[in-house]
Amino acid sequence: MSAETTRPPQVLVVEDDPHLAAGVRENLRAEGYQVSAASDGEQALAWLRDNECGLIVLDVMLPGIDGLGVCRTLREQGNNTPVLFLTARGDPADRVRGLEAGGDDYLAKPFHLQEFLLRVRAILRRWDWYRNASATAATAVLRFGGNEVDFRAFRARSWNGEIQELTEKEAMILKVLAEHLGEIVSREDLLERVWGYDVFPSTRTVDNFILRLRKRFEEDPANPRHFLTVWGVGYRFLAESKP
Amino acid sequence: MKSPRVFQLTALALIVVSAVQVGWWLFDQRAYTIEKVNAQRSAYAAQTAAAQALLDSGASPGRVREVLPQIVVSGAQASLAPAVDQALRTEEQRRINQYAWEGGFFLLALGVCIAVIARALSTEARVLEEQDSFLALVSHQFKTPLASLQLSLETLALRAPPPQAARTLIDRMLTDIARMEAMVTQILESVRLERGRVELRSEPLQLRAAVTRVVTQLEERARSERITIANSMAPGLYVMSDALALDVVVRNVLENALAAVSAAGGGSIDLSTREGVGEVELLVKDSGVGFEPAAGARLFEKFTRLGAAAAGGSAYYGTGLGLYIVRRLMELSHGRVAAHSDGSGKGASFVLAWPAAQEREP
Repeated sequence: MSAETTRPPQVLVVEDDPHLAAGVRENLRAEGYQVSAASDGEQALAWLRDNECGLIVLDVMLPGIDGLGVCRTLREQGNNTPVLFLTARGDPADRVRGLEAGGDDYLAKPFHLQEFLLRVRAILRRWDWYRNASATAATAVLRFGGNEVDFRAFRARSWNGEIQELTEKEAMILKVLAEHLGEIVSREDLLERVWGYDVFPSTRTVDNFILRLRKRFEEDPANPRHFLTVWGVGYRFLAESKP
Repeated sequence: MKSPRVFQLTALALIVVSAVQVGWWLFDQRAYTIEKVNAQRSAYAAQTAAAQALLDSGASPGRVREVLPQIVVSGAQASLAPAVDQALRTEEQRRINQYAWEGGFFLLALGVCIAVIARALSTEARVLEEQDSFLALVSHQFKTPLASLQLSLETLALRAPPPQAARTLIDRMLTDIARMEAMVTQILESVRLERGRVELRSEPLQLRAAVTRVVTQLEERARSERITIANSMAPGLYVMSDALALDVVVRNVLENALAAVSAAGGGSIDLSTREGVGEVELLVKDSGVGFEPAAGARLFEKFTRLGAAAAGGSAYYGTGLGLYIVRRLMELSHGRVAAHSDGSGKGASFVLAWPAAQEREP
């Protein structure tokens, strides 16, 4: 294990309610995490300009820039730090909005402490896997069909020379598929590995992400040669296109 | 709620269709009248030509007048009798005027109906939207202290903290409960104010005495948060207001100032008075976290909590209703309230103005 992985993960808590922020901070510290705090979106973005962390616990309704705006800004800046949204609004449409803004998970207030801690652990574990799986020079880059994906930079150059900025979910799906080269990976497995348990309502989400990957990396997305659908099961990824 | 709206929309559609029909009827009747008059003119022109032909063929003017009574003969020239021509013009104008007045009246009446229904519909839509956003905001406001309460309780259950940490959690929970209780009170109060279910008395009140009473109750909190309250209010100034409303207004503004100063780590609040034309002003100037000048107008709207961001980790909890209640109570007291700040971190000043009362201290 490297020195980096032995250091406790840093978590940034962005919450404008002082009591809730204190409660979350104290519990994360008790679990061994290093915790920093911000009480609004501007403060959070300013902190993230100078610092790095393993996870952002982000309240949605913040004064000034709201949580969704903070998350969108980070993603636009190429910052892929995972985000766990906390919000008083918990209906499915709000969840989808949060995840579309680039969030990794979504927890409605009031929440159970143990569920919160479980989700924090799950997100960090997923990112730990992704980082470890992209740690060496051999695993950091994936080449297939004239495409080249840099997992560490979340960037790719597609077969036609276009530079593609990948979202962290796209990169993670690609990583899971690359780890199971030539094998069938079910939609459920992809959901579990990339999102965790009950974040999305359906496996259709995975299909949408596969469509996006095809648009980025297939010469003819309607007749894919790398991201193949196995009807009723999931997907098979081939680095070399079928003859 | 839905069926009256359907009824209103149906009525609106019917009225719009009726208005279009009236407009069409107007246009059609006018065109018909002009067409009829023109046909009449053509007929008279034919008669005139026939009369002229008779004259030219040697018929006597008397014979021509006998056969064609609308034609006059002057010398060897036949022409339409001026009275007939005038009658034709008058009839044309009368009918066009009649349609213009009748149609105009109906169109005006229908236009008024359309405006009334459209206004009612837009008001209803706005009220529904406000209710939705009110409910969303209320639920958000409650869920946050509820989440904090649950988190504190589950922390106690999960971690069995030492007595001092447990005490902190218990204090936090008690504050959360007080916060929710204050919210319920303020929400009920704001709903009553909104629906005009508050009857305020208007009596002469000694401003300095009323404000000092509130200050005395807040002094301990101010001391514990390293805030000094300087009171340089002039004695003997009377305002017209309801005693309870004045107390609520001053308390809310002072609590707001205390929260803003506390969030800045301590400072001062200065109270002073100024006599205007027919009114008395109370100035509350604080050295607190302030707000962006552009946000001043939003301060008095429901659920605005500008101070929360600057408050950071301090114990500032606004329900976002306090200053809304202040504004409504000041409006009902025929007074006014305004706030100003030069920007974040630059303090703020609030001006409360009531109608001056005639009574003065001897």
